[in-house]
Amino acid sequence: MTRDLLVVDRLIKRFGGLKAVGGDTGLSFSVARGTFLGLIGPNGAGKSTTFNLISGVLKPDSGAVLLDGVDLAKARASEIASLGLGRTFQTPRAFPSLTVLDNVVVGAHNDGETIGSAIFGRWRAEERRLRDRAASVLARVGLADRVNDHVGNLSGGELRMLEVARQLVRDPKILLLDEPTAGVDPSLQAKLSNILVDLHAEGRTLIVVEHNLHFLLRIADSVVVLQNGQLLSQGTPGEIKADEKVITAYLGSDHAA
Amino acid sequence: MQTLLSIIMFGSLFGVLTLSLNLQYARGGMINFGTVAYFAAGAYVYAIVTQEPPEGLDQYLLGLDAPWWAGFLAAGVASMAFAILTGWPTLRLRGEYLALTTFAFAEMLNSLLINERRIGNGTVGLSNVERPDPAALGLPDSYVYAGAAFLLMIATALAFRRLLASPYGRAIDAIRDDETAAQAIGKDISRLRFQVFVISAIPIGFAGALYAMITTLVSPELFSAEVTFLVWIALVLGGERTLVGAMLGTMALIGLQELIRAIPFESVRAAEIAAAGEDIVTGILFIIILRWQPFEALVRRKHAE
Repeated sequence: MTRDLLVVDRLIKRFGGLKAVGGDTGLSFSVARGTFLGLIGPNGAGKSTTFNLISGVLKPDSGAVLLDGVDLAKARASEIASLGLGRTFQTPRAFPSLTVLDNVVVGAHNDGETIGSAIFGRWRAEERRLRDRAASVLARVGLADRVNDHVGNLSGGELRMLEVARQLVRDPKILLLDEPTAGVDPSLQAKLSNILVDLHAEGRTLIVVEHNLHFLLRIADSVVVLQNGQLLSQGTPGEIKADEKVITAYLGSDHAA
Repeated sequence: MQTLLSIIMFGSLFGVLTLSLNLQYARGGMINFGTVAYFAAGAYVYAIVTQEPPEGLDQYLLGLDAPWWAGFLAAGVASMAFAILTGWPTLRLRGEYLALTTFAFAEMLNSLLINERRIGNGTVGLSNVERPDPAALGLPDSYVYAGAAFLLMIATALAFRRLLASPYGRAIDAIRDDETAAQAIGKDISRLRFQVFVISAIPIGFAGALYAMITTLVSPELFSAEVTFLVWIALVLGGERTLVGAMLGTMALIGLQELIRAIPFESVRAAEIAAAGEDIVTGILFIIILRWQPFEALVRRKHAE
């Protein structure tokens, strides 16, 4: 059996005594390499908290997260990122003092990013290579003509694309996207959907948290449903759509068949 | 002429401190209210390394009688070492907490220098600090030291600019903009912040050594919190965004002080009034500059072209 790329094992996180994620038994699921996993659930189900626990922004009270067999318990968020986990945030985060291009270049692993390289000027060749790569990633997410713009001039949707580009340039093993369609207009949503499908087709592993079920169920190949921080259901989009527990959770008991 | 030389000399010297503060605060996002401590560390270590072994009434224990350049280098190392010592436990702190802690460290060092006489004769300080004799250059001392201070400031500015214009500088900017997002792209923020803190302390140590050469005296009262506040005011005056602004702000502030000092006073009372006037004018200048930000506007116009 091939090892799963990401294993979430009996994860529990409390906020001030309340169980945000995991309930009594803990939250467990695993993600095989090349999977496009959709993570859904009603408001307050613990989706973003789960993301923050996986990416090291929050530390779990108990349980473990394994990325490609490596236990992330002691790793800092920056180390987890360096191990190949890319993520975006529910509220897009850009670096306002950098241009659009620099916002992406800064994401790439850069051997020239040291004091020594700065003082001795040994970063220009690497910089040219990374700028080219960043420009092509920006073109891919539809921001080719905004390369030299200030991030302050980008719309909310473009900021989300910028965040995706900043992670793509890192070439992560697994990419976690937190509500990528929130605040994004329909034409950009369609573009985003195409990009995600392409990334999946390239064999990348994706986890996407989404409120927009239609968007997600159309393109994901596996779905995890959370409710009150616990696993409600897991399966293919088809199975999830037919699952009565899920329908009840989302639409209330009246709608259950 | 003497006044102009003083302005260049002390303006450049404190300009180095303002530049370092600019790197730490405006780029690194760290509030250091203990700048004077790194300056004092440089000055004292320079004096201790170059002075002769104690004799007679001297209470200090150590005098290495080494040449001036050894003392100068040791001053940079000392300031760096003090930054490592103080930065390691404190840099996890944010904003005002870091400000308070660095301020406390500086006060502790000042207190130590006063009370532990074996370091530098306590409040008396170390006088007759050795300094290289620039007579060989055929110029008066004050010209040479003003030039040396100016060179040190320019060298510091160029080194910082080189650092900030590189990918390393970009990573620093990213961390200041958004720590969480910087971590999500693998930036080790505590390591980078620590590095910036330590690097920016090195020129402060050199400036301390040069200060000791110029005044030929190091004593605790020269290194009070007033020095820290002076460079903070200079940083705000010049605008925190650019290195040029940091240098101009310091020059303007020191220039004002030196001009008032240059007025020949007939009586003690007149001097007192002038001293009070200096504070008032500094305050008014501060308000005017905060309101209209002339130096920042200047730099912004240059960038826009």
